[in-house]
Amino acid sequence: MLPKFDILTEEQIDKIHKNSLKILQEIGVEFSYDPVIEILKSHGQRVEGHRVYFDPDFVENMVEKAPAKFTLHARNPEHNLVCGGEDIIYMPGYGAPFVYDADGGKRDATMADYDNFVKLAGASKNMHMTGGTVVEPTDVADEIRHLKMAYSHITNSDKCFMGSSSGYEFAKDSIEMTALLHGGLDVIKEKPALICLINSVTPLKYDDRMLGGLMAYAEAGQPMVIASLVMAGSTGPATMAGALSLQNAEVLAGITLTQCINPGTPVVYGSTSAVTDMSTGSLSIGNPENALFTSASAQFARFYGVPCRGGGGLTDAKTVDAQAGYESMMLLFATSTTGVNFVLHTAGILQYYMAMSYEKFMVDDEIAGMVLRYLKGFDCDSDEKMAYDVIEKVGPGGHFLTQKHTRKNFKTEFFRPALSDRQSFDGWSKDSLDTNQRAKLKWQEVLANYTAPELDSAVKEKIEAFIEKRSKELLK
Amino acid sequence: MNPIFEEIKDAIVDGDEDLAVELAEKVVAEKIDPVQAVQFGFIKGIEEVGKSWTNGEAFLPDVMMAADAMKAGMDVLEEVLAAGEGEGAYEDKGKIVLGTVEGDIHDIGKNIVGALLTSAGFKVYDIGIDQKAEDFVAKADEVGAKIIAASSLLTTTMKSQKVLVEYLDAQNLRDKYKVIIGGGPTSAKWGEEIGADGWAETADEAVELCKQLLN
Ligand code: B12
Repeated sequence: MLPKFDILTEEQIDKIHKNSLKILQEIGVEFSYDPVIEILKSHGQRVEGHRVYFDPDFVENMVEKAPAKFTLHARNPEHNLVCGGEDIIYMPGYGAPFVYDADGGKRDATMADYDNFVKLAGASKNMHMTGGTVVEPTDVADEIRHLKMAYSHITNSDKCFMGSSSGYEFAKDSIEMTALLHGGLDVIKEKPALICLINSVTPLKYDDRMLGGLMAYAEAGQPMVIASLVMAGSTGPATMAGALSLQNAEVLAGITLTQCINPGTPVVYGSTSAVTDMSTGSLSIGNPENALFTSASAQFARFYGVPCRGGGGLTDAKTVDAQAGYESMMLLFATSTTGVNFVLHTAGILQYYMAMSYEKFMVDDEIAGMVLRYLKGFDCDSDEKMAYDVIEKVGPGGHFLTQKHTRKNFKTEFFRPALSDRQSFDGWSKDSLDTNQRAKLKWQEVLANYTAPELDSAVKEKIEAFIEKRSKELLK
Repeated sequence: MNPIFEEIKDAIVDGDEDLAVELAEKVVAEKIDPVQAVQFGFIKGIEEVGKSWTNGEAFLPDVMMAADAMKAGMDVLEEVLAAGEGEGAYEDKGKIVLGTVEGDIHDIGKNIVGALLTSAGFKVYDIGIDQKAEDFVAKADEVGAKIIAASSLLTTTMKSQKVLVEYLDAQNLRDKYKVIIGGGPTSAKWGEEIGADGWAETADEAVELCKQLLN
């Protein structure tokens, strides 16, 4: 793995860190959920109403309790993932309510789309897990969406996945289902198997639903991403240093809380901060500022000794065009080379998290493959890799195409594109397909050939019974 | 013309809320014609900002701060205007109650819509986030609004827009108000489905929509 590079100096880190602690101590953070207020009070923090003023030493001590890395367990142990250190985890986009089609059409996302994206992630060698809320299945009643979504991940793939964080109750349901899959709550407490996304409400707030979710995961010893999305210029200051300080304060407050509830609970430092388009007010994510926020967040996570979530294949484009490609590559490259560990939104996102696209998923999957190859860097560890012997054998003026050494090594040394076109002009012009059109053929082919890994029928029945029971209760 | 009108105009263009209030107080205290202050001061200013916005020269902080300054100054003048002081009469282009629906706390889009409507001459009553159908309607009734505008950013809260229309139906108030909706996951189709009077994708389009509806 390549060494991850820093973008902030030590002095800049120190200044922003202190700025964040000052925000926490003097401005404070609002928590709307009473149980949380009690917890923070009992840990000696100054509370006025729902606003909590954090002691800087306390924050630093609590953050230190969070582990630097942890293992997330999949039902197929081959897909167990280490989150932290040098490792990087890719997965599909999260939360989009729309699907944009190859021909420019826009429609509400459905459960069928949900299953498809889970399968595409299951099939991809570049997607390490199948993610969570891969689209909003708008044709499923929201009372039971979380059950159907978890079921899709469990049955369509054997990779790790994410659970609901929408309030204590829904979070508990996802945790229960994961426990059924892995053989009990005590099993997953020992071997964490479910992770969720907890968002602050920028600026400086956490709401009931998210805090309920946070409590459920912390109690069950399941990891969570604590993330802040500062839209610099609207929900945060227009300066990069100011927005980063604000984000950092929010994430530190969230991490501190998790460690109060259950010290040692694995948490991931999360950022999706980006900028506001000052002509329309919309979030804009396909830009150098987002790349900077992402890289800075990775560095802050290293500074605090926790894993980092951020970035992805991010774009503001509405269709799979050049803009979608160059923005996504910039973001995923910066994300990956500066040390983010958990990359929600790696593949599929169009228009600042508003839509998923099958074609974009395939493009991002390709980008992900390229970046993963880049991250592997040079292998100089053996004589074989240094290739002196074969250079000697061929000597001046020969060629390497017919050498055993070549045949043995090229497949692992070279990235082989699945989507990019490397043909001659004549070869290409037989069909003259652009990337968007090729991507469409590709995902259709992948889905047609996909078979979901077998799931033990007894386990499956238990999970289905649970869903049935809960659906009845929730749809009452 | 009283030089204070030019000062008011500049305060609006600069988005200087404090100065706008100060000048409005001066208008009241010195018994300057309030209708003229509105026409040659406040409206001139906001029109200028609106023009730069349309030309792409002004950005959101310019328009939103101008709208805030306008609102704050106009609030000061409200009483004397209502009392019918001054030559002629000032009338806003229409009253609009605006809010984010129950269960939803996204408000950036709503705030932008509010600012652009204000700068287009509408009187906007922003009731904030996480608001029930009753709250929208109570406010509309209180201020005599013609339009109720509801924002929703979540697929799970869109149904509150439907609840709003149904509530108006149930109260036999449906004909009294025009209901318009918007926000990220909403669509023209959703608007039609729930029987809203209009949907707009952007704040600029929301202004056009309100103009049409009140014509
Ligand atoms: C910023 C943001 C937040 C901020 C909001 C801060 C604030 N003060 O508003 C915070 C962090 C608090 C937040 C919280 C949540 N969010 Co949020 N959020 C966003 C984000 C990134 C941008 C929204 C925004 O402000 N856009 C900019 C404005 C200008 O656009 P707009 O609101 O659409 O408004 C324009 C038009 O729609 C129109 N318009 C708006 N209102 C109206 C009204 C009328 C009457 C008319 C005519 C027009 C109109 O005019 C505006 C200007 O052109 C969106 C993704 C996105 N790209 O939109 C997600 C998004 C909306 N959030 C989402 C989610 C899931 C959530 C959370 C549940 C938690 C989470 N997992 O992130 C919570 C829910 C909290 C709650 N109960 O409401 C999802 C929604 C998915 C879905 N199911 O529908 C989105 C799409 C992101 C995603 N892909 O996951 N969020």
